[in-house]
Amino acid sequence: MPHPALIIPVMEEKSLRILWDDDLLSEYSFTYLRGWCPCAVCQGHGGTRNFIPVENPQLESISAVGNYAITPRWTDGHDTGIYTFEYLRTLSEQHETLSQEQAKG
Amino acid sequence: MPTEQEVRTHLQKIAYPGSRHDIVTLGLVSEIGLHGSDVVVHFRPSSASDQVLQHLGGKITAALSALPGVEHVVVHDGRRRLGGGQQRPVAAPAKSPLPGVGKVIAVASGKGGVGKSTVSVNLALALKALGNRVGVLDADVYGPSIPLMMGSEATPRAGDDKKIYPVEKYGISLISMGFFLDDQSPVIWRGPIVMGIIRQFLRDVIWGDLDYLVVDLPPGTGDAVLTLAQEIPLNGGVIVSTPQDVALLDVNRGIAMFKQVHVPIIGIVENMSYYLCPHCGEREEIFGHGGVKKTGLEVLGEIPIVEEIRTGGDEGKPMVLQSPDHAVSRAFHTIANRVMQASPKTLH
Repeated sequence: MPHPALIIPVMEEKSLRILWDDDLLSEYSFTYLRGWCPCAVCQGHGGTRNFIPVENPQLESISAVGNYAITPRWTDGHDTGIYTFEYLRTLSEQHETLSQEQAKG
Repeated sequence: MPTEQEVRTHLQKIAYPGSRHDIVTLGLVSEIGLHGSDVVVHFRPSSASDQVLQHLGGKITAALSALPGVEHVVVHDGRRRLGGGQQRPVAAPAKSPLPGVGKVIAVASGKGGVGKSTVSVNLALALKALGNRVGVLDADVYGPSIPLMMGSEATPRAGDDKKIYPVEKYGISLISMGFFLDDQSPVIWRGPIVMGIIRQFLRDVIWGDLDYLVVDLPPGTGDAVLTLAQEIPLNGGVIVSTPQDVALLDVNRGIAMFKQVHVPIIGIVENMSYYLCPHCGEREEIFGHGGVKKTGLEVLGEIPIVEEIRTGGDEGKPMVLQSPDHAVSRAFHTIANRVMQASPKTLH
């Protein structure tokens, strides 16, 4: 499982960049990242994958969880999403499919 | 004097260590300032370590100083907080964010009373005997027993820098909640306080250079253990169990917990595996020997019940140290070897 080598939030572009140790460079817009928040509050327990749109989400900080995940804290106080590296890879690799799902709503 | 675009072009030739991507493309450079003959380069706040930023700072200075008309190059690290104000910067999810510490090995059990702390202490000493620099973090906040087992009554030293320096005993660096409590007072804290203390241990303890840090987790799979496993970047887990089915039920919960927090399980130690009668030498398998094989985990070792382990623990003279040639000590050396194979020490 690849591990992030560098995590950079680019505030003025409203995006998060992750450089992985296999040299893949992933970019996530805050809208995309927040919308696919994996926490139970956002995803519920229905077993479905949901995009929860948030208008203009702003990142406040990012903290590490163990050695397998990060948790972003958003300025509206939402901080329950534990994004495992595996999940972040999926969000990056399936960006196209997920963006289509996101557009359908 | 170069233009901002020219400076940018030169910075684009500097790759991030271990990557083909350059520092401009990565977004690591947030701002370039030109003031007369001075060039100022700002790094964006990121998870990059101080060493990497220093290394890159050196490269930037060297590259830009060579340009005609440039006298001084100043590189600002990304210490500014994200979005300004009181907020924390980007935490680095490094493989081991404890400075100087190589591999972090957790010793866990599905239930209490299976000898988890005994295994932690003897495993640490066996790792030490194999030439490693070893520390022990007694994270069993509710029942810290490692100071007793290691025979350590010293208290950790607090430096002027508000850092905590571990106690040294038998060549092992040691931190335990037990050092901060007297023997009588019960630990009646709720989760958040416990977590605060563990965070402080992680943040403020100066371990020095260690190859292995053995973390004695609290028993069970409750809130405290789970949070600990998320808070401490664990490289591998060792599960301790006695062989009877009732204990093994809980081991499966321990396995599931490690999976949940993505900690690779190195294997299982069967403790109280059998009893060797000191009078007739007969082997009595009180708890049903070999039961841990049912878990499907690699069996790292089988530790028999012998009186010396118990007395060694109670007197603070661990078995591995007292009787290094005893079958029990040899079993611990085997376990330590397997831990080293599964989680090779990082070269310093």
